[in-house]
Formats: sequence, structure tokens, C-alpha cells
Amino acid sequence: MKPPPVSITCTDLTLRFPVYGVDAKSLKKALARAAVGGRLGRHSGVTDVTALQSVSLKLEAGDRLGLIGHNGSGKTTLLRALSGAYEPDEGVIEVQGRIAALLDLGLGIDPSATGYENIRLRGRIAGLTAKEIDERMDEIAAFTGLGPFLAMPVKTYSAGMQGRLAFAAATAVDCDVLLMDEWIAVGDAEFQKLAHKRLLKLVERAGILVLATHEAPLLKLYCNKVMRLDGGIASEVMDIRRVDELLAT
Amino acid sequence: MDTATHMLRTGQRGTLFQLQMAGRDLRNSFGRLGLAWSLAWHDVSSRYRGSILGPFWITLSMGLMTLGIGFLYANLFAIELHIFLPYVALGIVFFAVMTGTINEGCDTFVQAAGILSQTSLPMLTFVWRTVFRNLINLAHHLVIVVGVLIFYGYWRTADAPMALLGLVLMVANASWLSLLVGIASARFRDIPQIVMSVMQFALFMSPVFWKPGRLKDYQAFLDLNPFYHLLEAVRAPLLGTPVAPGTYLFLVGMAVAGWLVTFLIFARTRRRIVHYL
Repeated sequence: MKPPPVSITCTDLTLRFPVYGVDAKSLKKALARAAVGGRLGRHSGVTDVTALQSVSLKLEAGDRLGLIGHNGSGKTTLLRALSGAYEPDEGVIEVQGRIAALLDLGLGIDPSATGYENIRLRGRIAGLTAKEIDERMDEIAAFTGLGPFLAMPVKTYSAGMQGRLAFAAATAVDCDVLLMDEWIAVGDAEFQKLAHKRLLKLVERAGILVLATHEAPLLKLYCNKVMRLDGGIASEVMDIRRVDELLAT
Repeated sequence: MDTATHMLRTGQRGTLFQLQMAGRDLRNSFGRLGLAWSLAWHDVSSRYRGSILGPFWITLSMGLMTLGIGFLYANLFAIELHIFLPYVALGIVFFAVMTGTINEGCDTFVQAAGILSQTSLPMLTFVWRTVFRNLINLAHHLVIVVGVLIFYGYWRTADAPMALLGLVLMVANASWLSLLVGIASARFRDIPQIVMSVMQFALFMSPVFWKPGRLKDYQAFLDLNPFYHLLEAVRAPLLGTPVAPGTYLFLVGMAVAGWLVTFLIFARTRRRIVHYL
């Protein structure tokens, strides 16, 4: 049977974060109309933050969506929801295709383990089998350019070296839907060029890209659609040529 | 289907739906037991990195405790050493598996916060990780068990298949307790302290260091102690003594009831757990 085509469908997606152990009653009024952050409210006795409100979205293969909006407008929350980590309070999220979320490069990195072990661990969390990781190990190892350091604990690495390792491990996946929080740039100038190429390849292979960023030039470069989030409320999905319009408001 | 290529997340749709989603989480976690195993293996190897004996350090300290308590209490209670020492040895080793699985259960979700908040991995995968980690530790401590059984000649009468059945029952019960305290600890951060105290209390209240035969008027109290039954089901067959049918009945009942209740709680809280963290 042919698998259904790659797609993302969100219908009336509403997501609230309950905040436990904080009584935001007094904060509520002060923050209700703040420009930054979601809206605070109380539902059934628990203080909560409405991070996303009735977001509807439909993406198909070939769509490269850029997400823009202030800090706390819900970009990362939407990405996490699309990765399957959050259950919506209302509405539906449905994703067809293998998802890769490059939200936090540090995910699953254990500083006391060696480079090789970390690559294995990261691969396993991303859904690769032990055999698949073994097959890719040489390629990943070569890409990091860390050579003999891969057999040493990651805590002995410099920040740049750690970045290289995490990047190489995280991007060694096959995916149909790629979720990214900011365009990833790690390592020195030389590595950044290589990383850029690798990321572009990943984007090309993926059917759908959703990229949250604050940088307009990046959007114009990689995306063909754009959506703006404001306090959890989404604008409609627009063509990238109208990005300046969205950024202006 | 919630395979690697289809992800569906929806709002509240009633209790039945929640149960279905929890069931799906359970199925998916079984489909990924390999991942739980890799994580558990990684936990053990990273905890003891750079140490020469690794998990055998715990084995060694258990061995010393067994010898110390074995000799001392055998004298105190005037029981022969070849009866008492193996009894204490098995008690310490198997009680540690229960304590470990339950105590570390408090950390299951808290520890996995990073992974849970950006992937669609099943939540129960992390419960199996905790269980597997403790089984790996047990495998190290089996050195003591085997050593004692051979040294004192119990291997001739030991009933390994029945002991294995006991171990299965023990794990089946410890795992639901582990899940339960995991959910509770994610929500209320005082729980781990309470659980630790309770488990410590249970260690002294259960016949680990003493033999139940000396308990005269409190036999009923013993029959109600779940840890006594859990321990007995594994220890008694290895020492060549029969296990009361009531113990099996108790353990099966406890596993079924415990899993039912815990699974219902899991189904209710599943969508919230990631927010607790």
C-alpha cells in the first residue's frame, strides 16, 4: 500500500499550559494585554497560559513555512505541538510522514559519554535502529571532523566541538517533515559552510519544512510561505512575497 | 495508527478516547522496547563510567552487608548460619530490585523532560527504561545469589523456574508502582521523599533481615504486607521451600488491580504529564 502523501493538518488547535504552583491571579490583569507572551487565564481552578489559540494550518509536500512573531508568541510551542510532544486542549493535529524536530541540539547529549556513544544515543532517540546508526556512523563521524576526539567524553570538548557533534548527530536522519527553531549555525566559519550545505540537503529531501525565525533574510531564502503568530493567534498562511507586509504590522 | 509516519494528537474527547490513546502509548512503547533497553544500558554504563568495578560496587557492598548482618543476626537470633546467611543474601538482593524500581520511578518522567517535550516517543518507554535499568543491576547482583546457593548447597533443591515466575510477578508489580510514583512525582515534587521513606520503612518491616516464623501475634500484619509476598515468591523457591498459594493469589490480584488503577490514572493524566515537568 502506498503511504499517504506527506502533510500537516492543524484544525482549531488550542493549547494551554497549566502553570502549577503559581497563583497568577494578581499577575493576570497586569499581563492580560502585554505585547509579549501568551495570555494568562484560569480554567477549572488552575492558572494557565493560552499559548496557541485556534490555529488552523494545512501544509503539503513542497511547502516551506516560515513562522514569525515576538518572543513568547507561540512559535516554539507550535513546533513542539507539531513534533507530537503536546496534546492539544482543543482541535486536532495530524502529521503524515516521519518527523524530525531540530528544536534543541543538546537533546539527549550526555556530557560524560563519548562522542560515539552520544551519536548512538541521539540516533536511537530520533528513531533510528542500532543497525541504521552503525551504517551511518562513518559518515557522521567524518562530518564532525572530530577524528580521535570522538572516543573521548563530550565534556572535554570545546563548545564549538560540542556543537559540531550535536549537529552532525541530529541531522543524520531521514525525514519528511523537518521542524526547526531558528536556522542552525554552529562551529567555525568553515564548518558553518559545511553545516549549511548539509542542512539544505536535509530540507530538500524533506517534504515540508517549518522554520521559526526572527530573521527576514532567512525566510526569503528558504521559505515559500509565511505565517505570523501574535499571542498565540495565527495570521493566515501567506506567500513569502508578502512577508514585509506581515513584519511591518 | 501511530506509527513513525503518522502522528495524531487531539483535544479532549471523553474517557474512552483517553483510554484508547493510553493503550496506543502502551502498544507503541512495546514496539520500542529496544529503545528503552538502549537508554537503560546507557544509564548504567554512564553512571559507573571510569570506575573499575562499575555496578559490582553495589554488589560488593551488598555482599559485605550480607556477611555482616548474616553473622551478627544469626548469632542474635540463634539461627544456624547456613540457614540464615543465604536467607539474608537473597532478601537484600531482591528487595533492592523492588526499592530501586520504585524509588527511581520517581525520576522517570522528570529525567526524560527534555525528550518528552520535543518528540512523540511513548511515555511508557521511560517506565520500561527504569525497569530495565534495575534488571541490569540485578544481573550483576546475581553473583551473590549464585555464590550463596552454591556455597551452602541450596542449588540442589532450588526451584529456578518457580523463582523466575516470582521474579516476573515482582517486576509486574514493581513496574506499576514505578509508573504511579512517576506520575505523582512529576506533579508533586514532595513525593520522592515520601516514597523513599516508605521504602526504607518497608525494608525494616518486611522479613528481609529476620525470619517470619518468630512473629507470633502479628502474622496477620505480615500477610497484608505486599513486600513480604513479593519477596517470598522469589526467595522461597530458591531456598527450596514451597510458596503458599495465597502468596501467588495475592500477587496476581495486586498486579491486576494495581495495573488497572494505575493505567486509568495514566490515561487521565497522560496529556498533562509533559506540562507537569
